[in-house]
Amino acid sequence: MKLMASKIALGLCAAFIAQGALAQQDTLKIGALVTLSGPGAAWGQAMKNAAELAADKVNAEGGLEVGGKRYKVVVIPYDDKYQANEAVTVANRMIHEDKIKYVIGPLGSAPALAVQPLTEKNGVITMTMGFTPRALSPEKPYSFRAVVTTAEFSQPQIDWVVKKEGIKKVGGLFPNDESGQAIAKDLQSSYSKAGADLTSEFFERERVDFVPLLTRLFARGIDAIELDGNSPATAGLIVKQARELGFKGKIIRTGGPATADIVNVAGKQAANGMLVHSVLDPNLPSTKAYMDAYQQKYKAPMNGFSPSFYDATNMMFEAMKRAGTVEDTKKVRDELAKLENFPGSLGVLNWTGKESYGSNQQLDLPFYVAEIKDGQEVILARCNTKGCQ
Amino acid sequence: MDYGILIAQATINGLIVGLLYLLMAIGFTLVFGVMRMVNFAHGEFYMLGAMAVYVFTVHMELPFLVAVCLSFVVAIVFGSLVEWVVFKPFRHDELNGMIATIGLAMILQNLALIIFGPDPLSVPPVAQGVTQISGVYIPNSRIFVVFFAVLVLALLYFYLKKTRSGRALRAVVEDFKIASIQGISSKVYYPLGFGVGVGLAAIAGALMAPLFSVSPFVGAAPLLKAFMVVILGGLGSIPGAAVAGLALGLIESYASLFLSASTADMLIFLVVMIMLVLMPRGILGKGEV
Amino acid sequence: MAGQNVLSSTQSAGRGGQVVPFILLAVVAAWPFFSGPFVVHLAILTCLNILIVNGLSIIERSGQLSFGHSAFVAIGAYVSVLMTQYWGTGIVVSAIGGIVIAAVVAGVLGAIILRLTGVYFVLVTFAFAELMRLMLLDWAAVTGGANGISGIAPIDLFGFVFDTRGRFYVLAMVVAIASFLFMLRFYRTPIGQAMDAVRENPTLAESTGLGVYRLRLLAFIIGCSLAGFGGVLMARYIGYISPETFNISISVSLITMLVVGGRRSMWGPLVGAVILTPLPELFRGAVQTQHIFYGAALILILRFLPDGLASLPSRLRKLTRSDA
Repeated sequence: MKLMASKIALGLCAAFIAQGALAQQDTLKIGALVTLSGPGAAWGQAMKNAAELAADKVNAEGGLEVGGKRYKVVVIPYDDKYQANEAVTVANRMIHEDKIKYVIGPLGSAPALAVQPLTEKNGVITMTMGFTPRALSPEKPYSFRAVVTTAEFSQPQIDWVVKKEGIKKVGGLFPNDESGQAIAKDLQSSYSKAGADLTSEFFERERVDFVPLLTRLFARGIDAIELDGNSPATAGLIVKQARELGFKGKIIRTGGPATADIVNVAGKQAANGMLVHSVLDPNLPSTKAYMDAYQQKYKAPMNGFSPSFYDATNMMFEAMKRAGTVEDTKKVRDELAKLENFPGSLGVLNWTGKESYGSNQQLDLPFYVAEIKDGQEVILARCNTKGCQ
Repeated sequence: MDYGILIAQATINGLIVGLLYLLMAIGFTLVFGVMRMVNFAHGEFYMLGAMAVYVFTVHMELPFLVAVCLSFVVAIVFGSLVEWVVFKPFRHDELNGMIATIGLAMILQNLALIIFGPDPLSVPPVAQGVTQISGVYIPNSRIFVVFFAVLVLALLYFYLKKTRSGRALRAVVEDFKIASIQGISSKVYYPLGFGVGVGLAAIAGALMAPLFSVSPFVGAAPLLKAFMVVILGGLGSIPGAAVAGLALGLIESYASLFLSASTADMLIFLVVMIMLVLMPRGILGKGEV
Repeated sequence: MAGQNVLSSTQSAGRGGQVVPFILLAVVAAWPFFSGPFVVHLAILTCLNILIVNGLSIIERSGQLSFGHSAFVAIGAYVSVLMTQYWGTGIVVSAIGGIVIAAVVAGVLGAIILRLTGVYFVLVTFAFAELMRLMLLDWAAVTGGANGISGIAPIDLFGFVFDTRGRFYVLAMVVAIASFLFMLRFYRTPIGQAMDAVRENPTLAESTGLGVYRLRLLAFIIGCSLAGFGGVLMARYIGYISPETFNISISVSLITMLVVGGRRSMWGPLVGAVILTPLPELFRGAVQTQHIFYGAALILILRFLPDGLASLPSRLRKLTRSDA
């Protein structure tokens, strides 16, 4: 009995000491302001998980070491439901209650623009996925983008696809919001520069029945359907319904990784032959390592955008290390912008964007044109902002 | 593409979609007729049907037809139970009952979110390929759905016109006061009416599950359609709902052929509002006011 | 009967009963000054909701439930912002513009649809709200479409800029209290009493010389104008508006606030807004649980406390009195 009691007492002491030791460690909070419900949730999950994986890796090494202190990294996710006003409310909470200074997200263009006045004013560094060109500018030094947008990749990709497939008339289906409209505009000019003609149809983001819209497009005698800008689930539905209506032409998606979901919804047969934009090469060892880690932790198919945000989080960590502080976000921001040839899971990363946006806050990533064969992406061409082979 | 074929394609598309609107709307108008309750949770029962089919086909690997029937049974039982336990105090209390159904809708949708998560789920297709009839393309999966929707409607018609229980239900819908005088027990028929009504919504959801993806959010759009059809057809009128359902499907199909999708949507709302004001009894004039 | 209930309960409560709620109100109103910025943020939203739900309450007390209230908040917001954007008008002129246009639309719409009652009125206001949202979405050239309008400048009233949270809270609180006092005064006037009686006692209503229809129209116009005013302020506070800011779920939240707060009481909108606005934030980790709670609360209140939480004190009083 006495032995038991003293064992328990020892145990409790040890627990208290251990807890005390852990409590000595500071925490670094990374916010994930992403869409976790509704269309677009696939991307939001990918972003959140990327931040979590980056945090796990650093914590496994004992925490992030910055300026002589060790920080336990904690990811705090919030769902903005892809709505701008939700994003604003959430951002308010993150900044003022949780005192978060580093944010992965927002996902959508509209939420990104809506929270910028808040994040810029409070010096909060954000890594967004929003495609709108308005998200980046020298007046918004704390906003960075971790994915290449249509403005960067559409021309090289479309040039290559139009030439290879001999496409003349394209019908595009886009959601009627900031991202959809911005993407449609970019694609229109890219297609016309490549010698083809794009007509666009817009629809409510929640729509599930595309048969009337598709019928309208087919009436124009199109060779191909363009699906960029649609959430993965929606794209899958369009592919499924287009094939069900007997469409034999090419289906193209010049952007936005969505293959896993498209194949899931449309089925392997319908998705076969689709030409997509891919952001990763699964044969690259660093990418494969990330994909395996993702699969192991989450046991779910990984959306192609995830590695970008893994890299983005790691770049933020590196910037903090170089600045020697996690509190002074101006210093961190400057170090972040200075990073060159950063070894990320997707390859060697640099910042770009001065020509288009006025300052280099856009991540420059390699990308690929791939074809879906039997449910998997097969790379047909490798590209960068200059062109594809 | 020549206009004849285009119009034919649009007509077929419209009728198919209209059939599904019909199923939603008949259930909705039945609930209103029996209980004078605008059931804001009707869309969530559609979602329930779709989710049930997902569980039965993907997790329990039952054949599709069995899954649909089971979903219907689940919905009727659940609906009757909910009516009896939760909504009894609201019978004939129009506004409060309606607000209570809003509460129910929130509960159902969020329960589904907790159980299934927000991502769209896939139900394997019932039929593959497409049938072509003189230039008009009809996906085989939709032919299947049409066939079963028509079957369900035929069974419903038989039930309401030929069986005792069905005739009693119709009596309650048409005039509940006289029905109760005649000894038709409200204890049985209110839950039954609600159950059958939402059961029809569940069948619509079940039949659509392989066509579109399934998620806790799929109920909102069908609810909106049900509202519109029932307004056009007259609240409480089953034949009105039938005619208006098909009409709405056709109008939508033709409108999106010639107008952009958003203009078509706005036009339809405008039409609905005008109908409400000018003809509150609906197209067939049989609705209640 | 409804109007009489409120009057008699406040009268019979005596001076003591009348003061307590006001003291509570003062405490609740002052609390945000001693808490962090996020609490102030919630307080501001609550005050704006009080204003808007008061508007909804006016419409409801004349016997109609409007499911399109969010559309009028939208009108107030968009009109005032666009006026500043295109014509450079200051806050006072744009606010008046927003409220007036909301009133005019309400008048025109009301004239057409107020012949309908009950569920039909609900459905048509529902359709109207959706129509408004689609119009805002589609007319992108003017309204910014799905992108919305961002970077809305804060209120600049004769040189005094409401750009900090604290300042805006004072403004919002003043407006909310003003709307509450307006309600108190209004329902003591003959027209107000007639409006209140419309639902229960149409002959009393007729006696003022205004028919039921006209009273309802007036109620609709006033109620929607309050909503418009709320929209004007909301746009200047959040700094961003889009069609999604004013969708159907907002209308549903407003109705929930009114019902849970209490439809027959002056305090209803206040109680409903104060309780339900901050609630999502408490639940933020578990959004689904929050909504289930909302739904269950709605059903339970309707079932057991149909006059809302604001009727709780008088119910308790009746219980204790009946014991004696």
